[in-house]
Amino acid sequence: MSLYEHRRTASPAAAAEWSRRQIVMTDLRSVYGRAYPRMSGMLREPSWMFFEVLLPFLATSAFVFVYRALQAPPQYVGFVVLGGALTAFWLNVVWMMAGQLYWEKAQGNLELFFAAPMGFMAILFGMAMGGMVMSSVRAIVVLVVATVVYGVTFEVDQWFLLIAVFLLTLAALYGLGMVMAGLYLVWGREAFQLNQLFVEPVYFVSGLNFPVMSLGLLGALAIATIPLAVGLDAMRQLAFVGSPFPPGTPSVEVEIGILIAMAIGFTLFARVMLAALERRARRVGSLSVRWQ
Amino acid sequence: MSVSSGPPAIAARGLRRTYNVKPTKVVALDGVDLEVPPGEFFGLLGPNGAGKTTLIKILTTLLLPSEGTARIFGFDVVDDVKRIRRIMNMVAGGEQSGYGILTVREQLWMFSQFYGLSRDEGWKRVDELIEAVGMGPERLQRVGTLSTGQRQKMNFARGLLNDPWILFLDEPSLGLDVAAARAVRELVTSWKAAVPGRTVLLTTHYMAEADELCERIAIVDHGRILAIGSPAELKKRVQRESIFRVEIDHLDGGPGSLAALPGVVSAAPAADDDGPVDRQSVTLNLVLEEDGVLGGVVVALSRMGSHILALRKSEPSLEDVFVELVGRGFSDEDGPVESPPAHPTDPAEPHEPVEVA
Amino acid sequence: MTASTAPVPVPGTTPGLASPEWGGFDPSRTSDPGSGAAWRGFGAAVRLGWQMEANWTDPFLFFVYSVAKPVSAALILVVMLSIISGNQDPEYRSFVVVGTALWSLVLAGIAGLAWSVLDDRERYRMLKYTYVSPADFMLHLLGRGVARVAVGAMGAIITIVVGILFLGVPFDAATVDWVGFALVMTLGIVAIVAIGVMLAAVCLQTRQESWSYPDAVAGALFLVSGAVFPLSVLPLVAQAIGLANPLTWWIQGVRDTMFPGGVNAIGGSGSLWMQATGSVAPDTTTTILVLLVSGGLVTLVATTIFRISERRARDRGLLDRTTGS
Repeated sequence: MSLYEHRRTASPAAAAEWSRRQIVMTDLRSVYGRAYPRMSGMLREPSWMFFEVLLPFLATSAFVFVYRALQAPPQYVGFVVLGGALTAFWLNVVWMMAGQLYWEKAQGNLELFFAAPMGFMAILFGMAMGGMVMSSVRAIVVLVVATVVYGVTFEVDQWFLLIAVFLLTLAALYGLGMVMAGLYLVWGREAFQLNQLFVEPVYFVSGLNFPVMSLGLLGALAIATIPLAVGLDAMRQLAFVGSPFPPGTPSVEVEIGILIAMAIGFTLFARVMLAALERRARRVGSLSVRWQ
Repeated sequence: MSVSSGPPAIAARGLRRTYNVKPTKVVALDGVDLEVPPGEFFGLLGPNGAGKTTLIKILTTLLLPSEGTARIFGFDVVDDVKRIRRIMNMVAGGEQSGYGILTVREQLWMFSQFYGLSRDEGWKRVDELIEAVGMGPERLQRVGTLSTGQRQKMNFARGLLNDPWILFLDEPSLGLDVAAARAVRELVTSWKAAVPGRTVLLTTHYMAEADELCERIAIVDHGRILAIGSPAELKKRVQRESIFRVEIDHLDGGPGSLAALPGVVSAAPAADDDGPVDRQSVTLNLVLEEDGVLGGVVVALSRMGSHILALRKSEPSLEDVFVELVGRGFSDEDGPVESPPAHPTDPAEPHEPVEVA
Repeated sequence: MTASTAPVPVPGTTPGLASPEWGGFDPSRTSDPGSGAAWRGFGAAVRLGWQMEANWTDPFLFFVYSVAKPVSAALILVVMLSIISGNQDPEYRSFVVVGTALWSLVLAGIAGLAWSVLDDRERYRMLKYTYVSPADFMLHLLGRGVARVAVGAMGAIITIVVGILFLGVPFDAATVDWVGFALVMTLGIVAIVAIGVMLAAVCLQTRQESWSYPDAVAGALFLVSGAVFPLSVLPLVAQAIGLANPLTWWIQGVRDTMFPGGVNAIGGSGSLWMQATGSVAPDTTTTILVLLVSGGLVTLVATTIFRISERRARDRGLLDRTTGS
């Protein structure tokens, strides 16, 4: 076999037909493959520890001090700390996943990805997994350090359920991230600017620093549509058992149901939409236009 | 089953592609028909903006045609996208893609995973290809620090990772120096020769590259194929005779003595003979009916006591072919240039229009 | 082309390099063209920055984008306030609305230059061409950032207007010290841009993922700027940092000149200021003076850091690298 040969088949038709196992294994390998550069980047340029972990901790601290200035009940400090931890994952979704496709296009990698046989959702998932390490470090630092420094007391009755809700929230968040990634593929440069729109306004309607049902109807809408809102609210109810929540706050069970529906719904919708949007991008010719 | 008995490597029928760009619609491809059998090294030759990159993007499933059909080994570029992506790969010139933070080895390994190689298999194949493309010393160098030539070699290694049945090369030597471009050409040639049935589609505006590499060439302009044939066939369109420039030490009887030989169309002193005035040699342009007549001329010269000092065949270039087909050269505009050319949106795809969504 | 085959130049035009009229290399072309050229370069960069910022969508969406972020940030604080103390503290509500409104300008100013570096280096790959042109590099970056600062200022103004109209921020035009306000804003923007220059210097050294750094830096400064709570709430060490921060004095200066008589972020019971000076809170003149001094110092430090970073970037070949993961 020549140096260049690899798994030579009898014909192109034979090479083009992959078994279900081959398809699944390629997608799984692609997840790891795409996560690899992100994880390598973290190790090779450690400035992120300062900018992505320490400084955001200080930003969360600012809201802690707002409540202290207002002499708020202590559980509100806990709300802020938990919200600050979870924002790490939301920012990962917005910047490192949804907006990342725009970067890939700008770098010229996007068309190479589309020309390869793996599923595109595997690439998105790989991006998310790669960024999740950074987000997790940030979330842990915020949680642990803020808890120690600001004396937050968690009252958890059901740890298993709390962890399950956290994982469900991540699944729903990243499903939404895939949907957003597809939209960004279409919107191009607008998407990059719209990233800004998805930070502060989402923080507000998701009740980042206060129980979301304090917003009344707006809060209810947020719980129904934004994974960050419903996940954060459910986790607060599980992490601060006995704390008063605004009237109308859905029970944890209802919120878990919403999260499950979001996780499945967003992921399925992303799958359908990405295929449609890829086709649209191929029709318009925007897969390789860099500055649109 | 031999590849040659299967469907063609590329079969395009009535391919059209339009872009809705402001202020007017742009027709990038205007009814392209093309068939490339398996195992052929096929070239698309044309100036910037001819439609070469648009065609290659359609064939590599990155772009949908507006009209017409195209198939790669029988698989439709619109609907059988996944199957095509498993058996093809592409390398474009002037590419800046890649993750600067990764090493060459890591960058290639990442792509090996996208093509379904296992983890260990991927590393092994990457190491083999790195040696094959001559990047052994740079294997642990970060992609962001590579020179243009090194990056292109890395791109080639990426293009060969999955051992494609068909390899698309879109101006692969763009921006490379002479040595790097030669290395790229040698690499592609040896790769193709290693296994029968491998097909290559090359787009280029470098005549010499097309002439050297391609078994058949399609000359493209304004989205249409103007002519298809082997380089020799295309040149014969322009010049049916064989022309030789010969320098001899002396010629008794003058050029007329050669012109009378059978098969010699004409023999005349070379008009741009810049030799020293006191040189005794004579330089002639001989136009022969065919190459085979040259033997008789050499024998005749020998009988006349003349010695050949230099002999060179004059061939028309592919640009001569293009001029003959289109009426202008590769670098000539249709009319006077009144404004600077538009800035290309992508250095590797100059003048390819962008549809405004 | 030889001299004998060069085209005859048209009278009144600059002779071409190969023309007989070209008398050879003119050293005067390398001399400094003067401040006029520098301002022209700055103006071109401002125009470029505006083109890049403003042409990506329709005006309505652009307006929404420019306004939604600062207004949301203000609403977060207003809701926090209303949950804890209801509607009983209009002064403090004014305090937080003004602080968060001005913070959009801070973020825009800090991000403007940093993102220009990353944009031009990673996305458009024009940084190296800008750098080797005769235009001053820092002036060019400043010009590129002006558009973002303008967008941030627009967001700040609209948020304050929303605050006045809908959120109960008390405003009486007759009590506004317009001259003081103009002075405070000028000094403040210089300080903001200086911090932006420092961050741009950092981004020259770091990789593409630095996009989030401006947000992170702004978030951290949020803690020690007296934007949404008085410094007296912080530990003394943090208060000291806050007092050295020109942004603290700028925000307070805007409050003093536009909304006089409200809560003071710097002084107050238990504050380091009161312990150090004996006075309850600094007056407006003191605020402006300290802003001038601290802003000047930050500007000096920022310029130095930028030049060092620029040199290091040249030394290590970072000006035209592309990173990415």
